Amino acid sequence: MSKSQHDRTHHAKKATGIGDPQCFKGEAGPAKFKVGDRVRIKDLPDLFYTRSQVYTRGALATVAAVVYESPAAEDEAWDNTDKPEWFYSVVFRQKDLWPDYPDLYANDTVETELSERWLEPA
Amino acid sequence: MAEKHKPAPMVDEVSDFEVLEMAVRELAIEKGLFSAEDHRRWTEYVHTLGPLPAARLVAKAWLDPEYKKLAVADGVKASLEVGVDWINDMPTGFGTPSDYCNLRVLEDTPKLKHVVVCTLCSCYPRPILGQSPEWYRTPNYRRRLVRWPRQVLAEFGLQLPEDVEVRVEDSNQKSRFIVLPVRPEGTEGWSEDQLAEIVTRDCLIGVAVPKPGVTANAKRPVHPAVHPVHHDH
Amino acid sequence: MSTSDMKDPHAGTTAHELDTSPISLLEKVRTQGRVWGDLCEQYGVTNPDPPWKVSLDGTCDALSAEACALPLLERRAEEDDLSETIYADVPFPERQLLALAHSMIRRGLIDEDELARRMEAVDRRLNSA
Repeated sequence: MSKSQHDRTHHAKKATGIGDPQCFKGEAGPAKFKVGDRVRIKDLPDLFYTRSQVYTRGALATVAAVVYESPAAEDEAWDNTDKPEWFYSVVFRQKDLWPDYPDLYANDTVETELSERWLEPA
Repeated sequence: MAEKHKPAPMVDEVSDFEVLEMAVRELAIEKGLFSAEDHRRWTEYVHTLGPLPAARLVAKAWLDPEYKKLAVADGVKASLEVGVDWINDMPTGFGTPSDYCNLRVLEDTPKLKHVVVCTLCSCYPRPILGQSPEWYRTPNYRRRLVRWPRQVLAEFGLQLPEDVEVRVEDSNQKSRFIVLPVRPEGTEGWSEDQLAEIVTRDCLIGVAVPKPGVTANAKRPVHPAVHPVHHDH
Repeated sequence: MSTSDMKDPHAGTTAHELDTSPISLLEKVRTQGRVWGDLCEQYGVTNPDPPWKVSLDGTCDALSAEACALPLLERRAEEDDLSETIYADVPFPERQLLALAHSMIRRGLIDEDELARRMEAVDRRLNSA
């Protein structure tokens, strides 16, 4: 059996009736960040596949929620599901993403989810 | 005098596209890319989906503060009360590989307006909202909303005061999102059904706000992106 | 343009280089096929989607689910590229269908000649009923 087929059967057994990402609950260990923490998005090299948008790289954000545990998208794409990490919902001020975002709309934000490997304390 | 009913109009020819879809599907099944059974389950499942459960979730939340708290804290549990089971409805028993099982309900306030996009590929909360509209899938919407949200919303006819926080939710991982808009004025004493009727799909994505008397999505022409941008390789 | 515009809000997908040069079989469908909007007008039908749309969506789901022959993010990125180049003038969902067939042929999942033969067989079957 190819690795991909094996992992899909394994995943089905693990997740049936429980859900995905629910099936990874408890596997990531302690969360490194908490709600309110200021973080910066790391600019890790994307080998082939990422769900971490280029526009977020290097930007400052605030953790709005600690959402779930799951293998990082970058690992899951290759069926490496052994090491789930915590995922966070982070909020960016638009002004911190685009320097020429109008001051008139100073409160505007973008929120998105990123896994722990992408975050460092700001 | 008995009136003969006219039969409903039907397209009476087979287009090349219809032929192409069938041919691709048959070859894919023969080559083992997926089974006929799997394909049938997917199409049957997609057939069942539409925006009504999400509209009812919002209507219920407007009427019941405890349900609203539940919806914001646990979207998957709140979905069960409108007949949507993110985990078990799809015969896989663990949700669908493109929708997953983590609905997050985004609560608007008078000072905070959410609008949802998936810049990477157009992920959408299908189990509770049905299939996405074409404009949601276009690069035009996906690239521009996160960068120039107010301009894009204005094109949808929605303008918000400057001090309101417009929060673009970029749905890039396993969570899926619907917006819980602010309940509009002029709906006092309304029933759940009446309220649900004005919560259109566009309100649930966040590009419109509910209004008494407005029960349909606006028709939208799709414009090509002015500056086509290529993917980062 | 300011430097901030160089950060493409849409980037962050795969490194796969898609060949967007036209495929003659699909060009034939693109130029000769009748799109749903035209059929609706001619026959007075008001359904927003053609009858094969749900089946197409089922195919896309099944492809990214089972043996994962064509992962979602890759298929969508290719669909975006094709929708802005050779299939830009095709309405949705015909565009989605052409993009899917294009991706599958370029990735070697199906072969252009066998697809052409299968289309002929399907056409005969559907039109003989």
